[in-house]
Amino acid sequence: MKTVFINCSPKKRFCASAYFLALQRIFVGGKKVKETLRTPADHTRILEQLRDAQAVVFGLPLYVDGIPSHVLRFMEKMEASCRENDLHFSVYCIANNGFIEGRQNEPLMQSFEHFCTRADLRWGGGVGIGGGVMLNVTRILFIVDIALLLVNTVLSAVHTGNFFPKDAWISFGENAALLLYFNLGVLFYLARMGASIRKGSFFGKKYTRILIPSFIFILFADIFFIIISLFEGGLFRGWLAKKEETLPE
Amino acid sequence: MKVIIHDLDRPYDGMMEAKCDRMIAADGKYAPCQGCFGCWTKHPAECKMKDKLNQICRVIGRADELVIVTKNLYGEYSPAVKNVLDRSIGTSTPFSTYRGRQMHHTLRYGKHDLWKVIVYGEITEEEKATFRYRAERNALNDGFERSEVLFLTDLTELEAVL
Repeated sequence: MKTVFINCSPKKRFCASAYFLALQRIFVGGKKVKETLRTPADHTRILEQLRDAQAVVFGLPLYVDGIPSHVLRFMEKMEASCRENDLHFSVYCIANNGFIEGRQNEPLMQSFEHFCTRADLRWGGGVGIGGGVMLNVTRILFIVDIALLLVNTVLSAVHTGNFFPKDAWISFGENAALLLYFNLGVLFYLARMGASIRKGSFFGKKYTRILIPSFIFILFADIFFIIISLFEGGLFRGWLAKKEETLPE
Repeated sequence: MKVIIHDLDRPYDGMMEAKCDRMIAADGKYAPCQGCFGCWTKHPAECKMKDKLNQICRVIGRADELVIVTKNLYGEYSPAVKNVLDRSIGTSTPFSTYRGRQMHHTLRYGKHDLWKVIVYGEITEEEKATFRYRAERNALNDGFERSEVLFLTDLTELEAVL
């Protein structure tokens, strides 16, 4: 069985879609092909990969309550290609948005379902994830935790000869457990969708989110944007002002 | 201010311009959004890409009435129209709030009146339902008081509903 995982994020690095697709691949067997869809130059290569695929998993961000425009352009071509080549594989979708409610991905999911109907493909369903950006940050925090554990282990070994600093391991375990907890909803549904992908069966639409209260999420999101805007300078350029259009001279 | 975004051929421009204060021709001659958030964090309400949509946030943000004329694609806007909308997220600020009991961004330009979508092209009943739902979501997300969706069977009906 061949499954093609298409990362549709326009970002080259550090995108949430890549993170969720990586998690999804853990729960899918058989031949797994990774693809990225950023520009029209990617279209032909991806369409070639789809010719002998049994399942396709789209990973994409929610843009303005819908599918990003560069993905829509590809879907138009994909519909024509699938009809021309009589392809009928299953299509699944992992959509993520910056807001905390995964359910805000519903219009995107509906359009994917309509796409499958028009292309005569099997709509397998998808997972809509809220707080995608922040969940993506948790994987960075996990890597930082591992790095800290290694540093503490080396320092402990050098200074005391102890290669197993208990306090460092306890701290690492606590942090890892917390990060895992934030991701539990996503892992649960991606594991279940993985089972459906393996069987080629219908999964349906499921919605989940980062597992923290929304008022705390909003606080962290605001702090995140303040820090980023401070470093990028937007904070000093009329950050929240009603900007007027500047016409060319 | 009334703003019209449309993806029809250039001969329709004149009709559109006569019906609004500002017309945006969604001709596809611009880049898609790169998801950098620069229009929030680096250069507020301005895109880093120096094409015709560079300041689109500042135009759509001023719209009391936004009219979108689009071809149907799976209950979604056409890629050319969606591209314009994707590039306009700077109409809001990066700060978050609750609207309609869900998280959304605060509005840079305050409340607007009408988000109106005029859809042409072949469409199923299911896609029509998605379009109505999508317009409601867009209106809520972008701070419009109400939304309206019209489906044309023929483009000759367009001028009367603009």
